[in-house]
Amino acid sequence: MSVATRRKLIMALAPLFLLTVLMQHIMDPKIAEIHKGEHTVFSGLSNEFILGPMLGLSQAVAGLLWIRADEFFDSGDYDAILPLVRMVTWLDPHEIDVYITGAWHMSYNFTDSDQRGDRRYIPAAQKLLEEGYENNPTVYDIPFEIGWESSDKMKNYIRAEKWFRIATTLKSQDSSGHATKSAPIFVWHQLAHSLEHQGRIKEALAVWQQALAISNAKLKLNPKDFSTRNLRDTEEHNWEINLKRLYSRYTHEINFAIDRKMTKSFNPQTGQPYPDDAYIYTKGPEAGKPRPAATANPWNCAFNCHPVFIQPKVLMPNGQFNVGNGARVTIELFDYGWHPEKLKHFTFDIDESQTIMWDQHSVINGKWGRKIDMSRDPTMYSFSRPYYWLVFYFDPRQTSPFIQDKFGWSGEGMTDKHYLWTVKSPIPGAPTDRILQKVYKISRAQVLGLEPITEKDVVPNAVFAKEEGEVFP
Amino acid sequence: MVTLAIAKQTLDDMLRRKVLLILLIVTVGMIAIGPSVSFLSPRESSSILRSLGLAMIMIGGLLITILSSIQVIPTEIERRTIYTVLSKPVQRYEFVLGKFLGGLFTVFVMIAAMGVVFLGVLWYQEKHLAAEMVKGVMLTFFQMMLLGAMAIFFSTFLTPVVNFFVTFAIFIVGNLSSVTESLTNNPNPATKILANIIHFILPNFGNFNIQNKLINPTVEISNENVFIMQNIVYALIYSAVLLILAILVFDKREV
Repeated sequence: MSVATRRKLIMALAPLFLLTVLMQHIMDPKIAEIHKGEHTVFSGLSNEFILGPMLGLSQAVAGLLWIRADEFFDSGDYDAILPLVRMVTWLDPHEIDVYITGAWHMSYNFTDSDQRGDRRYIPAAQKLLEEGYENNPTVYDIPFEIGWESSDKMKNYIRAEKWFRIATTLKSQDSSGHATKSAPIFVWHQLAHSLEHQGRIKEALAVWQQALAISNAKLKLNPKDFSTRNLRDTEEHNWEINLKRLYSRYTHEINFAIDRKMTKSFNPQTGQPYPDDAYIYTKGPEAGKPRPAATANPWNCAFNCHPVFIQPKVLMPNGQFNVGNGARVTIELFDYGWHPEKLKHFTFDIDESQTIMWDQHSVINGKWGRKIDMSRDPTMYSFSRPYYWLVFYFDPRQTSPFIQDKFGWSGEGMTDKHYLWTVKSPIPGAPTDRILQKVYKISRAQVLGLEPITEKDVVPNAVFAKEEGEVFP
Repeated sequence: MVTLAIAKQTLDDMLRRKVLLILLIVTVGMIAIGPSVSFLSPRESSSILRSLGLAMIMIGGLLITILSSIQVIPTEIERRTIYTVLSKPVQRYEFVLGKFLGGLFTVFVMIAAMGVVFLGVLWYQEKHLAAEMVKGVMLTFFQMMLLGAMAIFFSTFLTPVVNFFVTFAIFIVGNLSSVTESLTNNPNPATKILANIIHFILPNFGNFNIQNKLINPTVEISNENVFIMQNIVYALIYSAVLLILAILVFDKREV
């Protein structure tokens, strides 16, 4: 090569190299955008996986780790799954199913010997889902899951409504994985249910109507779509039954057995059945007159309980409740001064010194309560604090429709001499919830059965609300 | 013409090498068994199938590129066949470029074969042509082009064994471009300077990684095609720099 050519080549090197630096500078913001939410994970990865992230194969390693996690699910090695969930979501923050499965796993699979859930994991599960939503803000799946767990697990229907509403605005993926379709119609269904659980029935009815309109529009395009037709029928049924319940509970009580046989149509504004047979007295001196609303004459619930620790950490609630079979009373025992954690970042490490017990017992023939043995699970129920709240409550919004038919959605038809308590909704215009609640403040000595629980330990609901707020574990 | 003749000769030679063919067969086999993960949910299966397929193409391409590029020039010197070539009217730069292009054609053929199998597997599993995967396969090819140019450059003055480790090490560091990029904003001045040197001087192989988007179609990349073009231009310019360096070094080398 001639000296001149050599010199030319050397001269060309500098601008070409500067061009690569410039190109890199231009591409850097895009690279940051592409890898948003990813973490470079080296520590904690076993030898066979460590090279993957170094070679830029984070997603492949994440996939392989998730296959490993699936094996742990099959073998019941639940503790081993949590670190894998963390690593997979760091390596590939777009694995939507890993966020959802991981959160479900934390919320539902950690239980005591009697299958009572370990509720200490719920804040972590929710935080994981929120992180998943931040990294995948265009698809409905994760907000829907937050809504579902808020409703099903936390019974926090206001939070559920918020996330279901977000989910309805987002897209679902088509068969090629692109987010092109509207969120599935069941998201609207759950939104309506979350409103029903708050006693906001008129808003729920409007959502059912919205869902009906969407399904009808879909059916217009494809009348043979059996699945949509099925969903449309469900929406129509739920809208109708809610409307009739609204009429029955607050205007004139409907006999639903007669309604099923006689009613040909109903007023779409009020829910009044036609002909009138379903809501008028058929026998007795009142025959021919309309029945009063189901909630017009308050029902004396005679709610009470006399809890006893029959052995150390073994609780026998001994409760009474004048209600039909099938109503469920919630029992909670948790550290005095406990408040739900507000996690800044997801972590699966929980405070093992915390004790939170949550259970529900069915009422049978006016009685409820069975043995709650917390002695077999010291890691879940460490009882390491000096005092605890022991709360027994019945919330009509959480109960079955046939029980609600007596009380109304928000307990309007309930009365009780001692334990009726009202909970105001933070939503303007939303009805107040009337619940039955008896609260004890007990000591560790009482939990261990060294001292009895007496009526002196009962704390007025107002005091409890002031100290703990209205938020339950 | 001379360059192309050398490239053709190199390609023929490479395609006869059993080790490269075995690598190709193993990689294609690994891609083909991808559907066995279908015990997961459809979305998870699809994402794992895609990520493993692209990973296999990348790993296969990496090994084929390194193994072919580190040997082309030293083998000619070791076998003394280079004397015959250079005694003819062949310029040294033509020899280097011919060897590089021969290796590049080899890598192209191998990656294309793996890509076709990968698309076939996806089509079999998902019942539609995942055409967007071509972008991933194409970017892997340009990533390998850059890697090949680097290996050729080092092969002009390093032994194949040393070259293998040096090239592989730089590939790993270059793959962490998202990490080095974030370190350029580190408050520690020493870290910041070091990160800038690594980030802007070493070839950033991580630039070519758009698997996020390909595996999870819900991920949006604004101006995706522009970004892909920028990557291709980056690979072409950086490869040119490395090849000029290779030509300059090889020109002065006593053979």
